[in-house]
Amino acid sequence: MNRLTQHVSDLFKDVPESEQKASIMQEVLQNLEEKVWDLMEQGKAEEDAINKAIVEFGDIEDLTKELGVNKSAKPGKSNTKNNTKLNLEYSIWGSVLIIALFVFMNFYYSSHVIWFVYPTFAVLWWPLTMYFRWMKVKGESKN
Amino acid sequence: MIRSDIIRGHLDSIILRLIMEKDRYGFEISKEISLRTGNKFQIKEATLYAVFQRLEKKELIESYYGSVSKGGKRKYYRITTLGKAFFKETVVEWQETKEIIDLFMEGFN
Repeated sequence: MNRLTQHVSDLFKDVPESEQKASIMQEVLQNLEEKVWDLMEQGKAEEDAINKAIVEFGDIEDLTKELGVNKSAKPGKSNTKNNTKLNLEYSIWGSVLIIALFVFMNFYYSSHVIWFVYPTFAVLWWPLTMYFRWMKVKGESKN
Repeated sequence: MIRSDIIRGHLDSIILRLIMEKDRYGFEISKEISLRTGNKFQIKEATLYAVFQRLEKKELIESYYGSVSKGGKRKYYRITTLGKAFFKETVVEWQETKEIIDLFMEGFN
C-alpha cells in the first residue's frame, strides 16, 4: 500500500500546500485503498489491483484546476498589472526628465532655433508604449 | 467505452442524483456508476474529486466524515436543499435538450 501513498503524493506535488489539499489527498488515498481491496476481493493480486487503481485514476489536471490554479493565477495576474503600472510611471518620469534636459539645452545654448520638439517626439514613444501596454493588461484582467 | 466528452457536461447531475438517493463516499459513487451503466461508462477518480470540489463550492453538496472503516475515515457527501433544487432544474433542462437533439438524431438510417 506504500506505493499508493507514494503515487498520491506524486500526483499532488504541484498543488500548493493547504488544508484543503491535505484533506483531499487523504480522501483520494482512502478511496484508492478501498478500490484496491475491492479488486482484491474480486480475485486480483495486490500488485495488479494497485496498478489498475492507479491507471484508472486518470489525469489529475481537472482536480488541480479546481484546487490550486485559481489561487495562484490571481496574484500572478495582479503582479503583471502592477508591473505595467510601475513601468508606465517610470517611463513618464524618465521622459519628463529627458525632455526637460533638451529644453534646457535648447534655450541655454541655442535659443535662436527651437529644436527641442524633435527629440521630444522621439522620447514620447516610450511612455506611449507603456501606456498602451498598461491599458492592454488592464483590459485582460477585467475579462 | 462511450465518448466521455458528451457525458462530461452532465457529470454534476449524475453525481447529484447518486448522492440524493443516499449519502455516499467517493469509491462507492464511481463503483455505482460503472455498475449501473454495465461498465459502458466509467468515471475517472480524478474527475470525480474535481466534481466534488465544484459542487461543494457551489454549496450543492456537503461532506462529513463517517465512522472508521477499513484503513481510515470515509468522507461522505450529502445533498443540500439547494442541491436538490438544482438537480430538479437540470432534469427539466435535460428533457428539453433531449427533445431538441432527438429531432435531428431519430429516424435516420
